[in-house]
Amino acid sequence: MSLGHHHTWMPPGHLRPPDDQSDFRGVNGYTKYFTGSKTPQMRASADADGPPHGAGLISDADMTAEEDPRISKFRDLYKNSEAKINNLFANQRIADDSVRAPPGDPEPSGAKDQRADGPASPPPPPKKPARKLDDDDYDDYDDDDDDEAPSPPKPKAPVREPSAAVQSPSRGHTGSISGAANGTKPTQKETVEDIRKKLAEDKKATEESAKRSFHTLFYTLENDRDAMLDQQRLEESERQVEAEMSSQANAGNNANAGGNGYGSLSSANLGASSLTLKNLIARIDMKRTMVQASDAELRTLMSEVRKNRSKWASEDKIGQEELYESADKVLSELKAMTEHSTAFLTRVNKRDAPDYYTIIKHPMDLGTMTKKLKALVYKSKQEFVDDLFLIWSNCFKYNTNPEHFLRKHAVCMKRESEKLVPLIPDIVIRDRAEVEAEERRLQLADIDGGEESDDEPIMSSRGRKAPGKSASKKGTAPARTSSGGSEPPAGSSSQPPPPVRSDSDVAMEGVQNGFATPPPPGTQTPSDPVGAGAGVSASQGDSMEIDGIIPAANIAPSALSAPGVELEDPEYKVWKQVTQKDRAVIAAERHRLFKGDKLKPDEPALLRTKAGMRRWMRNQKDISAEGDKARESASQIMEQDAAGETLAEGIEVDEDRVVPDYYDVMSAIPDLPGNLLWREDANGNIIDASEEFLRVLPKGVFTQPESKLSRKMDANMRQMQETRKICSKVGIVKQMQLQSQMYQNQFQKYNPEPFVEQDIPAHVMNDEGPVVSPWVCKAALQRSVAKIFYHTGFEEYQPSALDAVADIAADFFQKIGETLKSYMESPKVPVGDEVENTSAAFQWKRPYTEPEIVLHTLSSVGVDIESLETYIKDDVERLGSKLSTVHDRLRSLLSELLRPALTDAGEDGSNAFNDGSEQFVGGDFAEDIDEDFFGFKELGLDKEFGLATLSVPLHLLQNRMFTAAQSQNTSSTQTVTIFPSPAPYPRITAETVFSQIGLAQQFFSNKLQANNNEPLVEDLELPPKQRPMAARPRLPASGRIPPPSGLQGPSSSPQKRPPPPNAFPGGAKSGPSEPSKKKAKKNSGSAGAPGSGGDGDEATTGVDGNKDANSTLETGKKETSTEDASAAPSNDIPNAKGGVDPSSGAENDASAFDQVKDNDSAVRLTNGTEGDAS
Amino acid sequence: MSNDKTPKYRQEIQQMMFVSGETAEPAVDTTTLIEEIVRQQVVEILARSTALATRRGVRSISTDDLIFLIRHDKAKVSRLKTFLSWKDVRKNVKDSDDKGGADAADFAGADDPIAGGVAGPQDMAAKPKNKRARVGLAWDVNSFYSVQVPERDDEEDEEEEEQNYATLQRLAAADERTKHMTKEEYVFWSECRQASFTYRKSKRFREWAGFGIVTESKPNDDIVDILGFLTFEIVQTLTEEALKVKEREDREKNRRGGADNGESVKKRKRETGLFDPPEEGRTPVEPRHIREAYRKLQATPNKNIAMLLHNGRLPARMPLRLI
Repeated sequence: MSLGHHHTWMPPGHLRPPDDQSDFRGVNGYTKYFTGSKTPQMRASADADGPPHGAGLISDADMTAEEDPRISKFRDLYKNSEAKINNLFANQRIADDSVRAPPGDPEPSGAKDQRADGPASPPPPPKKPARKLDDDDYDDYDDDDDDEAPSPPKPKAPVREPSAAVQSPSRGHTGSISGAANGTKPTQKETVEDIRKKLAEDKKATEESAKRSFHTLFYTLENDRDAMLDQQRLEESERQVEAEMSSQANAGNNANAGGNGYGSLSSANLGASSLTLKNLIARIDMKRTMVQASDAELRTLMSEVRKNRSKWASEDKIGQEELYESADKVLSELKAMTEHSTAFLTRVNKRDAPDYYTIIKHPMDLGTMTKKLKALVYKSKQEFVDDLFLIWSNCFKYNTNPEHFLRKHAVCMKRESEKLVPLIPDIVIRDRAEVEAEERRLQLADIDGGEESDDEPIMSSRGRKAPGKSASKKGTAPARTSSGGSEPPAGSSSQPPPPVRSDSDVAMEGVQNGFATPPPPGTQTPSDPVGAGAGVSASQGDSMEIDGIIPAANIAPSALSAPGVELEDPEYKVWKQVTQKDRAVIAAERHRLFKGDKLKPDEPALLRTKAGMRRWMRNQKDISAEGDKARESASQIMEQDAAGETLAEGIEVDEDRVVPDYYDVMSAIPDLPGNLLWREDANGNIIDASEEFLRVLPKGVFTQPESKLSRKMDANMRQMQETRKICSKVGIVKQMQLQSQMYQNQFQKYNPEPFVEQDIPAHVMNDEGPVVSPWVCKAALQRSVAKIFYHTGFEEYQPSALDAVADIAADFFQKIGETLKSYMESPKVPVGDEVENTSAAFQWKRPYTEPEIVLHTLSSVGVDIESLETYIKDDVERLGSKLSTVHDRLRSLLSELLRPALTDAGEDGSNAFNDGSEQFVGGDFAEDIDEDFFGFKELGLDKEFGLATLSVPLHLLQNRMFTAAQSQNTSSTQTVTIFPSPAPYPRITAETVFSQIGLAQQFFSNKLQANNNEPLVEDLELPPKQRPMAARPRLPASGRIPPPSGLQGPSSSPQKRPPPPNAFPGGAKSGPSEPSKKKAKKNSGSAGAPGSGGDGDEATTGVDGNKDANSTLETGKKETSTEDASAAPSNDIPNAKGGVDPSSGAENDASAFDQVKDNDSAVRLTNGTEGDAS
Repeated sequence: MSNDKTPKYRQEIQQMMFVSGETAEPAVDTTTLIEEIVRQQVVEILARSTALATRRGVRSISTDDLIFLIRHDKAKVSRLKTFLSWKDVRKNVKDSDDKGGADAADFAGADDPIAGGVAGPQDMAAKPKNKRARVGLAWDVNSFYSVQVPERDDEEDEEEEEQNYATLQRLAAADERTKHMTKEEYVFWSECRQASFTYRKSKRFREWAGFGIVTESKPNDDIVDILGFLTFEIVQTLTEEALKVKEREDREKNRRGGADNGESVKKRKRETGLFDPPEEGRTPVEPRHIREAYRKLQATPNKNIAMLLHNGRLPARMPLRLI
């Protein structure tokens, strides 16, 4: 190619002699262009390797079958040249290597120069030198072979080409100019080509600039949905086309497969990865000498391999690949303009427009065109373009109304297609056989000496292919043809590959070009940046970049500003067009997650991709570089980045998305807030920034704040607790009056602790504002509610009640909060009256002052200050005074109750022994050893007597209380026990268990086993406290224990009298005095003397019983059972009741009614136990 | 039942209105309207207290249920308590007179057995003959504790005094009114003061209020007495409110009438003159005044709908408010 180019330059420096080796290399470099990276090691290894060689041979063999005549000819030529090379340059190889570096130097400078005036000159020229340079560098090794090869057949070539290659930068310009000024034909071609390229670059440039502007602008998502839907429609139509085509394609494929089976094979092998292919070619090149196949063979082989790069490539159709590729591009480009193209994607439906087909005789649409394209119907660019414009003209024809919206779309589409059509090379597809025949003819003509191949009609018609051909053929004799057809310098740009490729003969060239574009120049840069090869590649990269950037600078604005027809912001339009697909993809990704307005739970999550993250990182760097450095440095950085990323790039194939970062939220990392950054000071120590934003929650957020009100409430509650203590003591004393015997720990000590609000443990927050912790807040509210409950007089409450009230309170406070908020947020009003509007700038103020806000809120929730005050006055302060009054009264009540015990004992308590208490004698009196036998001291009763130590033993006190109560409430109606209680059942032992009824045997034996085969003790024989079923009395629903009959006697009504006496006679087993106590209770209504005589007796028996109970239950039971035999009216149930009674009495409060009730329940329970036991 | 439209308490209502400040003779339809309102209130009271009693697990209404219904009106509660305690005293005195000092406990025991548990203090209070018993309430401080708090006489109930303030005001007003009355007038006045829906006509009252339909059980005399007391209060409140309404209306009329024609102004002015006898020339309260007064009394205070703020919807009908 460069050769051809140089040829055009020839005139000025025609006779330039070859300067040095590099020139030769430059000339020959074409074939070796693709030799890959040229590091020494590589070369060495390549040298050592054999395989490429073998491959070459094989391909050789393959080729022979097909193209015998040519191959043989080529082979001959090749052999000839080989021999000559060997002769001439056998010793020059070393020198070659050493000189290799210098040639790079002049060239880059030239490239740079050209770059400088790039904007002015058409893109091709800059490309050219780059190309040439490439050639220069890459072929170090093979140079020698190839250098010689051309020389013998055509002596001219060496002469010319060196001159071209060595051309100084300035020469490059002149060359380009002269080239342009040269023959008419080339110029024309050039211009067409130029336009095409320019257009392509325009597009690229606009995209580029748009991409760059993404960082500076924010776009909304509003069009994403449209974009997505459009894209979906487009894909749909494409699928349709695909489906329609598939049947035909299948047939065709099958035929193809039959036609050239190996083609598919090679494609399978090599098409997979261009890298392998590249290496392969490099090796083949290196081992060129060893490859037996001719260049042509290799080229065909490669073309076979290459073919799969394009689905349009065809062995038999020349120009098809090129034409179709570009046409396809144009078509998809048009289709991708979804904003306008949607209507033209599919055939017009008859249902939509019934008369369409009467008006439009030749319907056409983009879908049909795609189909036709796939079916390879188009033979030339003209056909394609005709079809394309048929669509728009159809539209104009059918929609005659100038206001019709479709016309607008059609206009846009037409404009776009006009823009794009020049991009399609003007190619007429021809059969390969035909072309080859021509070529052969041409070659023959060339060899014959005809240098005037330029005028060859066919060649000229597809002049673009010529340079490639010429280059590829350089190695062979016909290389001169190339010089003849060298007009188009355009072949050097990125666009040329198709043209070259289209020429099947020059397949190698195609490969070469193909490589020139895809592998990023960066790959070579790092490997040996200093080397000539590297320099060239870099320069190539540079030139590419220049192409991209500089024209962009010039053209982008024009591209942006040109379409004035568009109503919208041109920049925005570009944005929309450029990013449409990507936006659609992203929107579709998001859309997938939703169903209706709900998230689909089963949908796989969106994940960030490596490519996305890489892109993001690149953009970040880009942005940062842009921020502080010049554009150049940024681009350099980018290049380096690209180098670093290439490896990863290959892993994940992901097209570069042309959307700003913020669009693709998946692939980005949000910025860290400043206080979380990992910072280090000069010494490398981490700066702990936590102090700046962490704070400890101050104490008392969740406790009641200290205030007068809260203090008063606390005091009230404390008062209540104290009063309750007194109440419990009163209850104990009353119980003592009723109960003849007591047990250790019978009375639970009631000593409530004052309430203390517990704060939450230390809590660290890293934010301002309140603690958002619903559960803690709710618990705190519940506690407050509970406090108010207690303060209102509830001693205890069910959690559910507390919950409910707390919820209501929370609700209420929420209402208050909302009301407050609405008052606070009400719009501001201008300050001052309307009359005083002197200042232009209004002064705004809140409509309400803060007190007003509070008052308004309170009134809207139905509370006023008065009622709040009333609450504090009545329900807190007055309650306090009431409570203390009640406290005093209860104290006096208690002291009154205790008076008999205190007075009876006399001054020194000497009278305490007068009531015949034998505890002292029996040594049961434990007070001497300072033992608080009944735990009364603990209960605080001692203090009630105002004595430091108990002068009266409390069990004596109990006796005294009891007797005192007895004497007051003597019963006149004694229950007479008529029948003796039966002897107790024998204990069940392991021996006697079998005498039980069968059903119970298993149960008893289990029990026995659990009891280690000890005899089973009946529940009733146990002391009441140890019984398993001791039923505890319950408080009535009112929560208040009705007053005991002992005091209330006079006022209790007859109806409230306990059930008839025989319902609960004294328990025979536990306490002998039980019945008398009951009686006393029952007859409490009349406190009279008649029963006083009996009272004394009962008192003594009571004491006896007490003693017995205290000493041994067993004996006590025996004694009392006989003793009380007459008192027990019935047998089993009474026993049970008597047994349970004390335990129920063990509760703090004793009252007649309760005991009645308890007895009832106890009867039921004990009956149950008895059933169990017996 | 008393579905028939014939008013049953015309006289009583007139008397009550007179006591409450209405000096002129009210029209029949006014009293009928008042009677209807009162009956509605009574029925509502009965229904609610029955519901309360049911919630307590009791079938018959106790005094506590009734007091509970009006608990928020502390002055009224206090008046009612006073009323009850004096009634108790009266009864005890009468009883002791009748039976010659029989055991008081028996009579106390004859009380409603179930109410006795809750309103125990009432029973207790009847000890000394001439001593006014204090009516305790279930939600008083005394009931906080498991032990019955003994009564003591030396503490005076400041609270009661305060709560009686409104009563005293009324008495003062009545005193003011009766100051210049002649003997006949005063006799009439005191007769009117005794007007009651229930006193010595409990059967009529029972029928009128629909006992047995609203409540299952037959309320005892206490309840009926309390209801009598409450009905009087209702009529009084209504009348006072209606008078206020009428006064405002008159004032408004005067102002506008002054602009319209001077003649009527003069007439009115003379009517409302300082030295005019208040009795004569006054127009009686009309039903529309009563209606307006009733509407005012039925107005829902903000407090009751506070929880409906913000997205809450006002129920179509608010429950009847007890006057």
